[in-house]
Amino acid sequence: MSFGLIDILQSLIDGILFGSIYALIGLGFTLIFGAMEKLNMAYAASSIGGAYVGLGLATLFSLPLFLVFLIGPIAAGLISILVYLVSFRLIPSTNHLGSLMASIGALFFIDEVIIHETQGSPLTFPELGIFAEAYFMLGDLGFRGDLIFIMIFGLISMGVIIYLLYYTRLGLATRAVSQQNVAARLCGIPIHTINISTFVLAGILGGFAGCMAAASVGVISPLLTIPITIKGLIAAVIGGLGSIRGAIIAGLMIGGVENFFLLVRGVNERDIYVFLLLFVFLVLRPNGLFGNEINRD
Amino acid sequence: MEYYFGILQNIGFHTLLGLSAYLLLLTGQLSMAQVGFFAIGAYASGILTVIYGINIFLALGVGAIIASFFAFLVGFPALRIKGLMLVIATIAFSEIVRLYFFNLRWLVEKDGVEVGPDGAQGFREIRYFAANGWEPSHIVSFIWIVVILVLFALWWLDRVKAGSVLRAVGEDELAAQSSGINLTVVKVSAMTGGGFIAGIAGGLYAHSTTYVDHNSFTILLATFAVAYPILGGLKNVFGTLFAVIFIQGILIEGLRFLGDYRNLLFGLLIILVMNFYPKGLINIPIFNWSKLFKRRDL
Amino acid sequence: MLKIKNIGKNFGGVKAVDDLSFNVDKGEIVGLIGPNGSGKSTTINLICGVFPVDFGNISVNEQNISSLPTHERVASGISRTFQNIRLFKDLSVWQNIWVALQQDSDQSSGWMREWFGNSKLQKEKIKEILVFSGLGDRFDDLAGNLSFGEQRRLELARAIASKPKLILLDEPAAGMNSDEVADLRQRILDLKKLGLTVLLVEHVMELVMNVVDRIVVLNFGKKIAEGSPENIQNNKDVQKAYLGGA
Repeated sequence: MSFGLIDILQSLIDGILFGSIYALIGLGFTLIFGAMEKLNMAYAASSIGGAYVGLGLATLFSLPLFLVFLIGPIAAGLISILVYLVSFRLIPSTNHLGSLMASIGALFFIDEVIIHETQGSPLTFPELGIFAEAYFMLGDLGFRGDLIFIMIFGLISMGVIIYLLYYTRLGLATRAVSQQNVAARLCGIPIHTINISTFVLAGILGGFAGCMAAASVGVISPLLTIPITIKGLIAAVIGGLGSIRGAIIAGLMIGGVENFFLLVRGVNERDIYVFLLLFVFLVLRPNGLFGNEINRD
Repeated sequence: MEYYFGILQNIGFHTLLGLSAYLLLLTGQLSMAQVGFFAIGAYASGILTVIYGINIFLALGVGAIIASFFAFLVGFPALRIKGLMLVIATIAFSEIVRLYFFNLRWLVEKDGVEVGPDGAQGFREIRYFAANGWEPSHIVSFIWIVVILVLFALWWLDRVKAGSVLRAVGEDELAAQSSGINLTVVKVSAMTGGGFIAGIAGGLYAHSTTYVDHNSFTILLATFAVAYPILGGLKNVFGTLFAVIFIQGILIEGLRFLGDYRNLLFGLLIILVMNFYPKGLINIPIFNWSKLFKRRDL
Repeated sequence: MLKIKNIGKNFGGVKAVDDLSFNVDKGEIVGLIGPNGSGKSTTINLICGVFPVDFGNISVNEQNISSLPTHERVASGISRTFQNIRLFKDLSVWQNIWVALQQDSDQSSGWMREWFGNSKLQKEKIKEILVFSGLGDRFDDLAGNLSFGEQRRLELARAIASKPKLILLDEPAAGMNSDEVADLRQRILDLKKLGLTVLLVEHVMELVMNVVDRIVVLNFGKKIAEGSPENIQNNKDVQKAYLGGA
């Protein structure tokens, strides 16, 4: 196994670009955590679920394939509402364990529905039109067009979300709910509406990430769910739970680390190093890159 | 008969896994690492009997000690993080263990055959029981003796001070510390004990199925492990036992005619119980028989 | 017995406790009072080791405890109650005491016996503590099922169980009616009779003025006055602090 500097750089670039998907999923985890101090473990599953619904509807009605990328995120947003209703709405906000377990239940439920509907076999997923064919060269280094598109989308979403949270009334209400739940309710802020909007927003982002993840490898399979869930969670934790830019930066970093170890240690071992990265952070910087002190259960 | 032995064995492993998570939940730690300890116990004791030709009892013990040693190591960083962060960290731990065994090749020639863990091909021919003339009924009895011993030990724990201390830490860490309890000792001990139980369970599993690979140790199994005590409730050990029998016995075996719809039920069951009986099934009124097991002095 | 020397604690630039010094002598009941946000609870938490001091040091019986973790401070003779009751609600009343019960030092039965041994021997001691605290008839009940007043008493009983020399009471009269306050006053005096030292943080002046030997007044994390209850009542600085004119 021999590789030069160019190979390493190229693998880092591919990895960081692919990391946009982890960044978006991590962003979703962090958004919901920021609003409710809870983890929605079913988040990545609903994202992949959305992509499936998009693909399914497009195939069923012979729609133009680019519509998959529109229907997918919307469907993921709707699935997120369902997840909110069954795993968060009725469970008291003090019962953190309850919502966590219920959302894990939702994760496996969504996964099993997908397996049941597809008989467990992966489906071909459409590529992202012109973006998939684009390939830019910069010296000896190449950049995949579709991944650049995802990354730009990720950065724009980060900007939009920061704008929404810090410069609008909706954002003000969301932050009020997350910081002083009871006080916010007493001020007449409809907390369930706020929570649902957070779930829908996160769901749409996740649905997009789910479609992109499937498009960039050309197939979609329920096997994608668990790895994306774990890496998205790791991105959210390394970035500092609740930190938006943290999730984006950590997601890109995880992509880079993953692809680097793919190059040097091979496909079977690469994830070990990604997970070890989490432990490095837990020991050295338990609150993540941009996290505040978290003393919650 | 073989079929029923299979179910009984399965319920046995799952009960042990559930109890190992139960012990940790008493101290308020939701650990998804139990499946990692289970895998370590399975591979370690398998390697001991297959490659080193060691007696099964010794191999199970050593396997469990190795698993509990790793649990001890996990216990320390786990002290600094709580709740949701612990869940994520322990998921990552279990995945690291799984991927380690996915990559582990340790083949040794015995009597002209290559035996031992073979990476993605898994670890085959863990045939101690067959080679030493154990009947299926012996194996089932052995597994259930272990299950009953562990059930008894954890039941008994609630009758001595250690049990109250574990629950006190689970309820309110600050109040427990202020009552003179050393959190480090209590939490790391619980983690180590949970690792030991999961390690034995893993060893029993590897030897009675004769074959393990990385797919035996997924996050789904980790979820099962924590789901049993949570669904059953933490009031006593019987909640966990009941939840295992309910899920593995009734839901998965009893409802075979439903085909793969059964897999949907597990997720659905967790959602329903968490919404309507957050303290576990043992609190459903029709299960008042559980009062029979209630501690006289509680 | 308790010596607090120049301790300080900052929370993100806010000086919650600032260069605070005072002593509590053996067998004394000292009141720690001050307006809301004056640093009383922070002081209790610093003494118990909930968080470390930034400056200064705290010693009990000439032993510096500033860097000990909470549970070791309990072993060195400090116990406490909480402003908002923190019982182990799913444990029974006697188990709440059991958890905190420290063995007699002369009884060298080993940790195995203590942690895994029969509860019978200890039950008598627990019963004694509960009877002393007026909870003798609630022995087997769940702590969560007690009334508010009983929960306060149980918390106090739990604090006694760890065989402290110094008990810190963090607003024990909060939410009590005047009959309950009178009962609490008697219980605090009972502690004194047992030879215990008490540091009482309280807002309810009806209790403070009638039970303490000495008062320390805090405002903005600093000590502004110290003296007998009569002196404090007539102190201009204290009146100003409470009227918000400081």
